[in-house]
Amino acid sequence: MEVKAVSRVKVSDIGKNVEQLVRLDLKDLMPLPPPYDKPGMEPEMTQPKDEWRLKYATDLDGYIGIDIPWKPQNKEEEELLTQRFLEGLKKLLSEEGNWTFLQPLLLSLEYCAKCQTCSEACPIYVSSGRKEIYRPTYRSEILRRIWKKYLTKTGKLFSDEVELNAKTILRLGELAYRCTLCRRCTQTCPLGLDNGLITHEIRKLFSSELGIAPKPLHELGAKQHLKIGSSTGMTPEGFKDIVKFIEEDIKEKYGKNIKIPIDEKSADILLIHNAGEYLSWPENPAAFAIIFEEAGISWTLSSELVGYDAVNYGVWYDDVMLARIALKHIEAARKLDVKKIVIGECGHAHKALTVVADRVLFDEYNIPRESCLPLLWDIVEKNKLNLDPSRNNFPVTLHDPCNIVRLMGIVKPQRNILSKICPQFREMNPSGVYNYCCGGGSGFAIMQSMNFPEWRSKIASRMKFKQILEAFRDTVENPEVPKYVCAPCSNCKGALRDTFEHYQATSRYNIQYGGLADLIVNAMVDLKTPYLEFLK
Amino acid sequence: MGVVEVLPVSTYVTIVVFIVGLIYVWVKWSGKPLHLRWELYPVPHEPGRTHYGGSYMEEVDWSKRKLSKSLTEELKEMLKEMLFLKRVYTYNRPLWYITFLFHGGIYMILLWFASLLVYSVLTVYVSETVASIIMLDRLNQFFGYVGIFATTIGVIGLLIRRVADNSMREYSGKVDYFNLIFILVVLLTGFIALSVDPYFSLARMYMVMIVSFQMTQLPELHPLTILHIILLQLLWIYIPYSKMSHFLGKWFTYHKILWDDEPNIRGSRIEYRVKEIIRGYKIPWSGPHMKKDKSWLENASEVE
Repeated sequence: MEVKAVSRVKVSDIGKNVEQLVRLDLKDLMPLPPPYDKPGMEPEMTQPKDEWRLKYATDLDGYIGIDIPWKPQNKEEEELLTQRFLEGLKKLLSEEGNWTFLQPLLLSLEYCAKCQTCSEACPIYVSSGRKEIYRPTYRSEILRRIWKKYLTKTGKLFSDEVELNAKTILRLGELAYRCTLCRRCTQTCPLGLDNGLITHEIRKLFSSELGIAPKPLHELGAKQHLKIGSSTGMTPEGFKDIVKFIEEDIKEKYGKNIKIPIDEKSADILLIHNAGEYLSWPENPAAFAIIFEEAGISWTLSSELVGYDAVNYGVWYDDVMLARIALKHIEAARKLDVKKIVIGECGHAHKALTVVADRVLFDEYNIPRESCLPLLWDIVEKNKLNLDPSRNNFPVTLHDPCNIVRLMGIVKPQRNILSKICPQFREMNPSGVYNYCCGGGSGFAIMQSMNFPEWRSKIASRMKFKQILEAFRDTVENPEVPKYVCAPCSNCKGALRDTFEHYQATSRYNIQYGGLADLIVNAMVDLKTPYLEFLK
Repeated sequence: MGVVEVLPVSTYVTIVVFIVGLIYVWVKWSGKPLHLRWELYPVPHEPGRTHYGGSYMEEVDWSKRKLSKSLTEELKEMLKEMLFLKRVYTYNRPLWYITFLFHGGIYMILLWFASLLVYSVLTVYVSETVASIIMLDRLNQFFGYVGIFATTIGVIGLLIRRVADNSMREYSGKVDYFNLIFILVVLLTGFIALSVDPYFSLARMYMVMIVSFQMTQLPELHPLTILHIILLQLLWIYIPYSKMSHFLGKWFTYHKILWDDEPNIRGSRIEYRVKEIIRGYKIPWSGPHMKKDKSWLENASEVE
């Protein structure tokens, strides 16, 4: 079906009565470098199925981030949605409802000079061919105008054009899932304002007041995490089975007899991985086990509910869910009486437990939480492992997970390791705290419903894919040379996996991805066979 | 009492309202509850790590160490931003040429005010000779001329850009235009005042009257100069209550949010505030997963 869209979108168009505000076209997107500069190198963009339009908010760009049927079916439902949204907005701007981010939110709403300095920093805006709806200030301006017009005394007199109707709310809800919260825009704001935070706050309003959030984040993510023990659906028993399997695998493949400690009391470290690693990349937790065993670290895993899955999806959309999961992580550590929690290669888990949840913990719950990266560097630096860099003699580049690097300032340890063990290590450009997001941030990596993965790979991950191609430009077209993107984050790996599949980057050009611990183990001299699968 | 006689009184009122306004803005923002950590790197107070954006979290067992902060580094970064508009320079150069002229001009006008004030205080309370010896009148003229020209060119440039640039025009609201036009009108009347007082001698006499509290010694003023003074006073009164108070807001966005990486250490002031908030505030949210009207602590710890 041909869908009419608005040709040049304005802020005030958000409530416009058209079926779809924007229609994306491949030819408008940011061009990719060689060898993806030729026609036919990537699939065309698709339109949503007609039946999706009935239940889901396809009204923005045709893509569906919120995969629960929340579209009002009649006038009454539309009015109810509008009322409840306004109620939620009031709470979002109140101390009781939102002490957690009230000050940053109000400052960002109050002071924006509309200078648009932030726009070019946004990989989604630039990758989309600078589509107005993806400009970092677009959704912020809509929220700002609604706030001024409907909730301030002088609003009616001085507010700028915006219409609060069901279309506006549906589109705003989807817009909150067109930003990865990478906060690159915030780095450029002359006033220090945070459009990423505003996105986060819109998500919170929808979740906390209306109960509306993507299923993979809330229903199958955070809620399942608290109920079953893991966002993956893995039970404590399932977890123990997988660990057993990993032990056997290590023995079988590498001849190492390692007993992975589970629920060991009074260990120095409780290591918590993203449980997705056990299912999708078990070689990563296995690598940690090999490294820790070899380095003589006192550590354990936990089989406590929630204690074996480091993810905390609450950090992306709901502060209460964030606090609930963080407390469970701490409880697992307290039960085992460990000295500290170390978080495995998972970016958002790093930020959630170490930084954001820092100010919901107190007394005996306030126990040290750290990143695994400084510890890995400490082990490598002190030569606790016998490593041979020539085993990693292929092009390697580093992806900086936003949550670990830009949002926590952990920049050097991973670079120090790669410089020491990878002779062909090269940086992406830009890198470090100015990196680009993988496109899977803020939950996008696990949002696999309907046509969302297409949008993610084509728009959200496009800039990262461009960076990767440029980092490997010397050998990119030679499939004989394996090229490794080191991504010390589960969600980033998930996004890279899907991106490489979308562009067939692995099958065509031998571009691989994986973790940091995996590379370290691959360099260990006493391993008879390479640790990395693609080298075998 | 005519308009002219009211001027000295309204000047004092303006000063008081302006200061009260600034205090109000400060109290408004600093009175907001403790927020969750939301820092963004580079954070400039990390000694030895600022240049690449590193943090104390790069260390093993960082919580066992005494963390050091460099306030000097933080202020240095802030000054670069305030005086040279570093981020606009780096990320939006075309805008920088205009906005730097505008902001630089404002700083010059502030220096003009300051030199006027110092001159007047010295004249009234020390001696006019001292004020003349250090050539404050000359400095005053320099700041005044550079300030008014730079700010006027800058504000016209900003207005043109706001109208001519699609992305800025589309997002700019009534208030954004009002602020710039208001400033422009004050500056244009300032030019008229300047034409009848090219050496700022009336301005100095006026300031001498203000600092000496001798309201009867009001110099004779041109009607358009009076209009300029009234508009200028209105602008000063308006600034704290408008977006133009962003110079205060910026302190909070940077120092209190983006650069606030202070960890919550056991027994610390932060921990005390966390306890207070998390036990005190009740959840007003109505989502199905919320325990409405129960405290944050109850919500976080009681999971079904």
